[in-house]
Order: sequence, then structure tokens, then C-alpha cells
Amino acid sequence: MPEDFLPIAVLIILATGLSFTILLLGQIFGPRRPNPRKGSPYESGMRPYGKGQRRVPIHYYLIAVLFILFDVEIIFILPWAVVLRDLGIFGLIEMGLFVAILLIGFVYAWKKGALEWD
Amino acid sequence: MPIVPFDTSMIAAISAELLLLLLAGVILAVDMIWGSKQKDHLGWITAGGLLFILLISLIFTRPEPVERLIFGGMLRQDWLTFTFRLIFLFAAAITSLLSINLKGITGRGEYYALLVVTTLGMSLMAASADLIMLYLAIETTSIPLYILAGFMKSDDKSTESGIKYFLFGALTSTVMLYGFSLLYGFSGETNLYLLSERLTGGEISIWVLGGAALLVLVGFSFKVSAVPFHFWSPDVYEGAPTPITAYISTASKAAGFAVLVRVMITVFPEISLYWTSILAVVATATMTVGNMVALAQKNIKRLLAYSSIAHAGYALIGLVAFSELGIASLLFYLAAYVVTNLAAFAIVVFFANTVGSDEIADYAGLSRRSPGLAFAMLIAFLSLAGMPPLAGFVAKFYVFAAAVESGLIWLAFVGVLNAIIGLYYYMTVLKVVYLYRSDDDEVPIAVSRPAAIALGVSVIAVLGIGIASGPWLGWALDTASSLF
Repeated sequence: MPEDFLPIAVLIILATGLSFTILLLGQIFGPRRPNPRKGSPYESGMRPYGKGQRRVPIHYYLIAVLFILFDVEIIFILPWAVVLRDLGIFGLIEMGLFVAILLIGFVYAWKKGALEWD
Repeated sequence: MPIVPFDTSMIAAISAELLLLLLAGVILAVDMIWGSKQKDHLGWITAGGLLFILLISLIFTRPEPVERLIFGGMLRQDWLTFTFRLIFLFAAAITSLLSINLKGITGRGEYYALLVVTTLGMSLMAASADLIMLYLAIETTSIPLYILAGFMKSDDKSTESGIKYFLFGALTSTVMLYGFSLLYGFSGETNLYLLSERLTGGEISIWVLGGAALLVLVGFSFKVSAVPFHFWSPDVYEGAPTPITAYISTASKAAGFAVLVRVMITVFPEISLYWTSILAVVATATMTVGNMVALAQKNIKRLLAYSSIAHAGYALIGLVAFSELGIASLLFYLAAYVVTNLAAFAIVVFFANTVGSDEIADYAGLSRRSPGLAFAMLIAFLSLAGMPPLAGFVAKFYVFAAAVESGLIWLAFVGVLNAIIGLYYYMTVLKVVYLYRSDDDEVPIAVSRPAAIALGVSVIAVLGIGIASGPWLGWALDTASSLF
């Protein structure tokens, strides 16, 4: 049993060894000419302004999260719809409960103003 | 262990979980409909609902005489599930009472809903008999706790605490999941009880199985904050809202122990000699590091954080003993620790509410400001230190007795030495409370009614478990015997 894992062990050693070797070679042979422009954070070629930690609006994020809610719902509903006839009334109730739980969360987010754009 | 086909009595077995889900929905609905007109009704609804569920599960979810696997082997209906469920519900009810009237929390529906959902997750953690269910339950518990720890969005410390908890939790749960995948790979089963049948027989080398056990242990050690996976707890405890700190340090830790006990005893009895040796070392390190570092703390929440690390070490002794008495003593220890720590944190909540500080030095003169509160603190801290006749003493006694019974006299000795170190720093806090004076001797600490109820119940529980320990130990022994 353990010898089955030998190739994996060899791979781990080779992979780690290779990455360290590359880093080491870069350290030894790479030219280093630092200047302030190189040290500054990259902002699509623009000159950076302000602090990196300033607050940003997260509306997109909220919308994305609410989207995931329905996305996941669809993932479950599609296979369920295929076998709905076999599941019968039991399946219908189960899915009703599932949707109801998600719905409570969605209505809550809506009521709390997560969908208002400003 | 047969998997029982579905029948309606199974619905009763998970009635507590179903009601918890319903309660979370009700809280959100109430918050939506009435909004923030009334400040504290959400907390009362939560606490009342949890109390109601506690009673329901006490009556209707009592395990059958024979343990059984229900819902296709996903859950196991036994005494361990039952006992831990009651502990979680109790802790959650106390926590929601403590949260009432706290600035930034009261009147926030999602806070209480998340609290209820995380309790639901813990309850399922204790019941899980399947790797997939176990992992889902752990995540259902953890994710709301990450949010709750960082609930004070405008407070940097709280945000830090949430992020730190999340990063640590995500990392350890990855490692644990890797362990789960190895177990599945070896056995082709995800059900803990079927899996253990496949693993016995010595076909799989001890080293490989031990490796998988170690990976799984990483995840559980994070949950119970055992050394070396304890680094998160002081920072998280300090930054999180204090009721949540109380909840993480009690219920979440107990949930970690529930899965630790079930998985180690069910899946790895073959290699018990190896993992008990590892856990003996972990327990020693956890007790010693927790107590030693607690000596130097100036902040009461950090002090209680390190003390809770040390307490995880004491409780681990019960598992290391690997006997019925050992597991029973662990359960007893957890119950005693949960009620004691809730009482201790209740006082921290009051104090921070009035004084706005968590520094131990500011507790000076508390005995003159609020004699009753100081006395409750005396009881809680002496119980944490392990003084008779309080719960903490009996709990430590049983744990050490279990260690001696299993021939681990050295471990009991380490435990006793650590209890002495612990006594020193608990007494130092009490010294500040009782002997030092402050300039505000005349100003009493404001105690709100719900929080006073929470503190009163916890203190009575500390006294009750300590003075009449017999029936509780009997219960713990029954629970332990359902595992072996």
C-alpha cells in the first residue's frame, strides 16, 4: 500500500525542489535595479492615488450574492424537475420548503434595502 | 449498526432542529414586519423560542433504548446527540438573553437568526453519523459564527476577529476535509459506522490510517482550540461582541468535543493507542500553554480566552483516558464548564456595558459597587479554578479520576499542577475585585433584567451541578455507554 504512493512522493519532492531552484537562480542571476515607479502598486498604468484601504461601495457584491441565491436554487430545481413525476407530492412539498427558506432570506434582504442602488 | 428505513418517528427525533429553523425564519419575519420600533423584543423571542425548543427536545427527542441510524445513516439518534443538543440550546438561550440591550446588537434580526442557525448546526454536528453530514454541519456552525464574530462592522477589533476566525477556520477545515477524503478513499464509505467496519481488520497500514486520523484531528483541534491550533482564540475572543465570545468559548467548543469524541471512538478504535498518545501530549501542551500565558494577561476577555484553552486541555484528558468513565467525565466537564463560563462572561458583559472597559485593573472596587455581581463573579471564577463545592471542582475531580483509572497517573499529575497555576490567576482577578478600591465606588454596575436572569440561571446551574453532582454524572455515564 505505501509504495503505491511513491510516485506522488517523488512528484512532491521534484515540484518543491524545482520551484526553489528557480527562485534561487532568479536571486543569483537576476539583475536588480529598483526605482520608485517599480515599487508603486499597479493600477492599470494610472498613477495611484489615495489609500489602498479606503471604503468602496459593495452594491455589486450584494447583487452578486443575491444572484448566487437563485443560481444555487436552479442547480437543485433542474434535476428535481426531471424526476418530479416519480417523487410525487412528497417531492413537491420538499421543494416548496426549500424555496420558502430561500424566499425568506431574499425578502429579508429586499426589505432591509439591499437592492436599493444608493 | 443498522440503518433504519424512514418512518415518521424520525421526524420527532429531529423536531428540535426543525423548530430551530422555524425560529430563525420567525425572527427574520418579525424583524421585517415590526422593524426597529421596539428594541428588545427580538432577543426575548429568541430566548423564549430556544427555551421552548429546549423543553420540546427534552420531552420528544429522548433517544430510543437502542441507538439507531436515521435518515439513511446521516444522523444517529443516541444519548450523545440528546445531551449535547440540550447543552447547545441552553448556551444559546443564555447568549441571546445577554445580547438584549447591547449597543449595536439589540434589534438586529440577523444577529439572532444567525445565532439560532449556528445552534442548529451544532446540534447536527453532535448528531452526524456521516462524513458529508458532519462537514456540512461543521460549516453550518462555523460560517454564522465568523459573521457574528465580526458583527460590529465599524469596530476594527471585531472586524479583525471575524476575518481571523474565518481564515483559521477555512484553513483547518480544508485539512480536515482532506482527511475525510482519505478515509473515504480507504473504505469507500462515508458513513462513520460502516466506515469503521471497513477500516478494521488491519488491511490498511497503521501509518496511513494514523495520518488520516491526524488530518481529521487538525480540524477538530481548531474547534476546541487545542494547542497548537489555539492562536485564533485570544484575538477572536477579544474582538468579538462579548455574548458571541461567550457562545464561541462554550457551545462551539462543546460541539467540537462532540464530533471529536464520536469520530475518534467510532472510526479509529483500532489505532486508539496512537491517537490517545498524541492527544495526551496535546492535552498537556494545551493546559500548560493556556495557563502559563493566562498569567500575563491584562484584559479579562483575553484572560478568559487563555483559560478556555486550558479548560479544553483538562477536558481532553477524559478522551485520552479512553474509557466509559473518561467520556462521561469529559461530558460532565463540558457541562460544568459551559455554565461556569457563561456566568463569567455575563459579568464581563455587564461590566463592559457600564464602564466600557475590559481591563482587569478597572474591575477594582467591584465588590463595593455591586456586591451581588462581585459574588457571582467569585462563584464563577472559583468554579473555573476548581474549588469545591462548585461545578468546576467535581468536573476536574472526575476527569483526573478517569485518567488515574486508565493508568495515566502522570497526566492527572500534570492536570493538578495546572489547576494550581490556574487558581493563581483567577485569584488575582478576584483580588482586584474584592481588595482594591476605585474612585467610582459609589456607582453601581447597571444590570438589565434579561441579563440578570441569564446570570442567575448560570450561577444556579454552577451550584446545582457542583453540589448535586450524582444525577448529572449518572446521565453522563449513560451517554458514554451509548458510544462504546
